[in-house]
Amino acid sequence: MKRIINGIVNENPVLVLLLGLCSALAITNNFENSYIMGICVTIVLICSNLIVSLISKYVTKNVEIPVYILIISTLVTVLEILLKEYVNPLYKVLGIYLPLIVVNCIVLGRALSVASKENVKNSVLDGLGVGLGYTVVLMVLGLIREVLGNETITIMKEISNITHHEIILKINFHSDLFPINIFNKPAGAFITLACLLALFNYIRGGNKNESN
Amino acid sequence: MEFNTYKGPYIKSPNKTNKIMLHLVVALLPIILFSFYKNGVVLYKHNLTDTYGMFYPLIFVFVGTFTSFITETIYTYLVLKKKNKDLINSIKNSYSFLPGLFVSLVLPLNTPLPILIIGAVVAIIVGKMLYGGFGQNIFNPALIGCLFVLTCYGSVINSNGGYINKYELDTIGSATPLTNYHMIDGIGNYDKVVKPYGDLKDFLFGMIPGTVGETCSILIIVAYIYLVLKKVIKWKIPLIYVSTVFVMTLIIGSMNGEGIWYPTFNILSGGLLFGAVFMATDPVTSPTTCLGQVIYAFCLGILTVLFRNYTSAPEGVLTSILTMNMFVVLLDRLGSKKKESIMQILIPMGIITCLLLGVSLLVGNKYINSDSSDSKFKIIEKKDNYYVVSQVGNGGPIKAKIYIKDNEITKIKIIENNETENYYKLVTNKNYIKTLIDNQNNLDKVDTVSGATISSTALKKMCINVKKDMEK
Repeated sequence: MKRIINGIVNENPVLVLLLGLCSALAITNNFENSYIMGICVTIVLICSNLIVSLISKYVTKNVEIPVYILIISTLVTVLEILLKEYVNPLYKVLGIYLPLIVVNCIVLGRALSVASKENVKNSVLDGLGVGLGYTVVLMVLGLIREVLGNETITIMKEISNITHHEIILKINFHSDLFPINIFNKPAGAFITLACLLALFNYIRGGNKNESN
Repeated sequence: MEFNTYKGPYIKSPNKTNKIMLHLVVALLPIILFSFYKNGVVLYKHNLTDTYGMFYPLIFVFVGTFTSFITETIYTYLVLKKKNKDLINSIKNSYSFLPGLFVSLVLPLNTPLPILIIGAVVAIIVGKMLYGGFGQNIFNPALIGCLFVLTCYGSVINSNGGYINKYELDTIGSATPLTNYHMIDGIGNYDKVVKPYGDLKDFLFGMIPGTVGETCSILIIVAYIYLVLKKVIKWKIPLIYVSTVFVMTLIIGSMNGEGIWYPTFNILSGGLLFGAVFMATDPVTSPTTCLGQVIYAFCLGILTVLFRNYTSAPEGVLTSILTMNMFVVLLDRLGSKKKESIMQILIPMGIITCLLLGVSLLVGNKYINSDSSDSKFKIIEKKDNYYVVSQVGNGGPIKAKIYIKDNEITKIKIIENNETENYYKLVTNKNYIKTLIDNQNNLDKVDTVSGATISSTALKKMCINVKKDMEK
């Protein structure tokens, strides 16, 4: 439990470690894309941490990175093939971002810094925690950006082919000032992420001073 | 950066921050009053507005100024936690009301007040205070605010009337000179570009549509002379900036056989003069070294011509100033190096000259090569009784099926469009398509929809092109 909370708060990949910013900025233009991406990264993260922690004894320092990259890309390819076969609509939604998980630095970062040193149980829990932390941040980003930029919250649209339900909440501010188009664009992602980072570290920094 | 200081005694410059501020306000006052005359008094005289509307330009400018002043005061009090004397001192010395004043001057008067307030707040907080306050900001705060407003609320401003006031709506038409120029294929000619707004004298005296502060060129030139005489701004930047644009457009114009009106039109229209005098010379965000200033100004001119002719936005001053703001540190470093040989000055100058000529030739060639047929128009399918055509609009191609009978257009059905919803709504609301069909033999006379100029022009051009093709 401690591990999981650690992944979400103290070592939050996006807000504290500043890893995986590329995907966090690129696909958070609506809520749905955000949480799907988060879940995919979490799955890959758990699997890669599991495998890496199992074999880490037999891998020498020199070939560490190539080996781990190989493992991660194998996992992503497997995930890609599975999604394509069984949940094709989801595969189409994720598009280019799915193969990009391979180079998502969170996965490699956790493999190098945690999974290669800790035992299996801790590694898996760490993968789960960090993955959840990533997912939560992406969801918050996606939520803020979609509400401000589009006045909607897409909960199920692209994946409605699987769930057979389409849920899109509409929010109307009844004002000329909304929607603010900039939040649909990359610039809006940067602004939102920056505000979130500042807020998060302000709150966290306050706690740290007290404990010291 | 290394500063070389010489031994004293020093002469104290009488230009303290407060004095500089005062001179700037004195220089801006005639411009504000002119806007009051053009957008308020003239309208009142023609019974187009009430007393509130008459004073609206002044209220508009005041709201912008006041907002930025209040925002900075609150920010310094709450976030920086300065109290009493510190607070008063830091507010006094930081030009706190200028960004808001400039935001209100570079936005069109039809901007709703809440949006203006947002612009001023963004200018102060994002553009200035988050960088560390006065003297630390990289970008011109006013332009940051303005850019934010134009990217977020451009469509709201346009649907509120855009850049034209009510009087101009009756007399002139629907767009600013630069937007109009932007819509023309090729380089256009005097009758198409300048004639709709009177003649070049109107451009000089400012009776043309535009933002609050930018229209009256003559007052801006007077302000420039005043500010240079009082040593408030750097004289090199505006002069070189404007003359670069002049020379480049002269080359472009003469390549296409246009006379001296073309460069004159280019420097008098849009925000070029205003931006050059008040924005590009901002003491914080422009270079301090001589060589740096010269290169800065040349690059501004080149970028402005490039942006005006090669991007989808009609105006390029704002973006080019913000772009060059990023390079100020580099330029200053270049300028502050000790010159060991003349080559160190000649090489940058040579590069700049090549760029200048290259860009002019590029733009000039673009217009020579664009022949009379419209490159944005495409016929996809052609049958006896209908055409399927596409024409590039604001957000991509608009696809339409046009039914014809006996060389007359009978019906237009839009199959696909990627226009911004707000703009496109304006077109459909006004039954523009029906107007086009009704006036199909006289399409050149049909006005575009104000607020959705690009979308409606695309539809109009589509009809004109289909007509042309039928006549063949």
